[in-house]
Amino acid sequence: MAYHRGMIFRRYGTFTGGIDLPDEKGATLDEAIVPCRLPAELRVPLAPCAGRAAEPIVRLGQHVRAGERIGRAADAGGVDVFAPLSGRVGPIVPAEVAGGHGFVESPAVALTELDGPAAAFDADGSPQADPLDWQAAEAGAICERISAGSLTTFRPRPQPLGSWVGRARENRCGTLVANAMEQEPYVTADHRLLVDRGADVVEGLAILRKAVGADEAILAADRRRTGAYEALMQAAERFGVTRIALPHKYPMGADTILVKVLTRRETPPGRSTMAVGAAVVDAATCRAVFQWVCRGVRPLGRVVTVAGDRAAAPANLWVPFGADCVELTGGAEGLIVHGGPMSGLRCGRRAVVTAATCAVLALSPPATPLPTVCIRCGWCTDHCPVRLNVTALNDAFELSLVGAARRGGAPACVECGVCSYVCPARLPLAQRVKQLKQAIRVAEVAQRPVGREAQ
Amino acid sequence: MTGARQAERQDNVRTASRGGPAGVSPFLRAPEGARAVFLVILFAVCGPLAGGGVLFGWRAAWVTVLSVVSCAVTERVFYRVTRVPALLGRTHGVLTGVLLALTLPAHVPWHVPVVAGAFAILVGKAVFGGVGHFVWHPALVGRLAVAVLYSTPLSAVDSRFEDRLAVLARGRLVFGDVRKAEYAEDGIAWERRPAPREDDAHLLTPPVRLLRGLTRGEPQYGALVYRRQKPERGPPAALLQMPPVNDLLWGARPGGIGETGVILIVVAGLYLVYRTYVKWPLPFAFCAAAWVTVAVAPIGLVGPGDVPQTLWLPILSGEGLDVGFTYVNYQVLSGELLLAALLASVEMTSRPVTTGGQVIFGAGCGALAMALQLYTDVSIPCYMAVLAMNTLTPTIDRFWRPRVFGMRRFGRARV
Repeated sequence: MAYHRGMIFRRYGTFTGGIDLPDEKGATLDEAIVPCRLPAELRVPLAPCAGRAAEPIVRLGQHVRAGERIGRAADAGGVDVFAPLSGRVGPIVPAEVAGGHGFVESPAVALTELDGPAAAFDADGSPQADPLDWQAAEAGAICERISAGSLTTFRPRPQPLGSWVGRARENRCGTLVANAMEQEPYVTADHRLLVDRGADVVEGLAILRKAVGADEAILAADRRRTGAYEALMQAAERFGVTRIALPHKYPMGADTILVKVLTRRETPPGRSTMAVGAAVVDAATCRAVFQWVCRGVRPLGRVVTVAGDRAAAPANLWVPFGADCVELTGGAEGLIVHGGPMSGLRCGRRAVVTAATCAVLALSPPATPLPTVCIRCGWCTDHCPVRLNVTALNDAFELSLVGAARRGGAPACVECGVCSYVCPARLPLAQRVKQLKQAIRVAEVAQRPVGREAQ
Repeated sequence: MTGARQAERQDNVRTASRGGPAGVSPFLRAPEGARAVFLVILFAVCGPLAGGGVLFGWRAAWVTVLSVVSCAVTERVFYRVTRVPALLGRTHGVLTGVLLALTLPAHVPWHVPVVAGAFAILVGKAVFGGVGHFVWHPALVGRLAVAVLYSTPLSAVDSRFEDRLAVLARGRLVFGDVRKAEYAEDGIAWERRPAPREDDAHLLTPPVRLLRGLTRGEPQYGALVYRRQKPERGPPAALLQMPPVNDLLWGARPGGIGETGVILIVVAGLYLVYRTYVKWPLPFAFCAAAWVTVAVAPIGLVGPGDVPQTLWLPILSGEGLDVGFTYVNYQVLSGELLLAALLASVEMTSRPVTTGGQVIFGAGCGALAMALQLYTDVSIPCYMAVLAMNTLTPTIDRFWRPRVFGMRRFGRARV
């Protein structure tokens, strides 16, 4: 736990509530990123973002090279799909992709007889475009370049990066934050990316700053991890990226909380942080932008932490999109979780790796007793980072009082899962608040006059 | 396909039978369960209970056993008869029984704790739907019921001496019988009091009763202490009739089994604060509000020449700040206030959830408790104050809401 002096340790704002989680990252913290074993089959999802699936443009049995286009976006909400590895096209099969609230069925192109580029992580296939000198280019040119790349963000709910940049420009975001807090136990993918390819991440962040038109680019990292970030310091100096080290109180890394801590601006409930002029990305997105703009290489996979107390071989792997999540754990027994243990999803049998997959964990099944009744201890309320009265929201859930939940501020929930974590009655509080949020959104959409767009 | 789906369903069933909604994040849980919470509170209240066992002898243990058994049996019978699943009921029932025993004097006949326990569980808890749903603290409901039903057996050990309760004498601790009590003069330190010849216990006036005599302007007391000038033939000084403050701190005074040992109660309360089962603002607001109320609430005194006079602001007027300070501390320490503040009002289900709400609740309890103690004749003023404020808990919870992130105070979302 060495601190790096190149970071800024000034005390920024803080937030009420929160909790110290067990760290549990020791198994993979110092493991360099390695390519994963060549899988037998890929199921490349045609709808990696929410929205309509892309139309496949390949024939059954056709041989495709890595980086070749295999699907064309059906509408503006989707992106083109590319073959992550060279192989033969199989039939269209169903796959499950993580979409924030749960896994969503998506059609996927099966690829067999795979034969990947050897150093897949470094090259990401062959260049598809000429390198762009982004420091000389106009912001508009960079935006066009990003839109042309069919990139997605690497957040829990991936979206096309081109439209994300467009919205950030519309909202005149003055602050661009790369969120490398990565606080959930076991997950080390972003940390390893900063250690192994830190300079790329910082340059990608600088490119995004220019594209968005932000005044300031901040790299926010966990204070305890900064000792390993030697490689990115020089690049950060060169591109003028502010490095800020923050304490590890969970959920400091939730977008709205992070923006509040860094800028003291509170995001209104249910809105994106762009509403207060701050755009948040993650390290993997920054690196993808760097690769595409400076090298002309599309991201065809991502870094995934495979860990957990049941994992046979914990590692940070570079995994092509469309690889099977359950296979990654090497047939570990127990509960296979997609994402971090606090906000992740339980893997179905057909779950595949997408841009949203930061980790695949093999955990021992929770031996918790069944939920009992709320004893009104108030720990959920004490630890809630957005000061929700979770006890009252639980009552609202049990009585189906959607209006009371809206007045109680349920849309402000950041879905960190702390309320469920501390609940001595083992109630699924986070899940219930999520359901209330959905019900509120449905009610609002039903009442909204036509023509007013949702933020 | 069918096989795969079937396998998936079986897998779901298997995970569900291991317990917990395994498909829902977070997949990590903090280790503390509700039952463990009750057990830790039970452990904490064993401190004052042990102190009561020393000072009030084997009858204290007997009352505790009766009360706990009554609560547990009532709980069991109720859930058997109504066929409602008893979620967390048994542990909480035992905890209720122990808390109830803490509030009862040790000399009471066997049917008092039994009836109190039955009332506590049936009226206080079960009719509302059990743990997590009741409005009033069950143990205090049981205590209130017996205070109404058995006022005479509760307030006198010996029918010849009304309003006198017993505490064991030196050398008779633990194994003595509090019912074998001998009349004793008030105002002497417990450790300097000569042991009774045949009996085991001293029969003393409860300190609250002494203070009430003072503040009603009853003619037997003349002033707090005659600081300036003691008249030749005048009523005695009230505070000199009180036991020394050491007796109040260690608990060597008549009262409920767990009410008297202030130090033990504070230790138990601090332990619960340390375990985060109690947020300190609630007991702090309770005690602070009680202290301020006593300091400013006017009392009647008999002045020179037997003329009743009113003492406004007792802490300032009268005989100096130090005397006022001592008077206030006596009022706060001599009743059941500490037990009510640190172990009864902090009961999770019947107190507000948010910290601000708890401060309002605690301040209301403290002020009301001292008002009842000063101006009324009720035998359990602090418990009644807690019960009264329990009634307001849902209202406090509804109107005191913390400011949600990104919203205005008490306001709607900024859009």
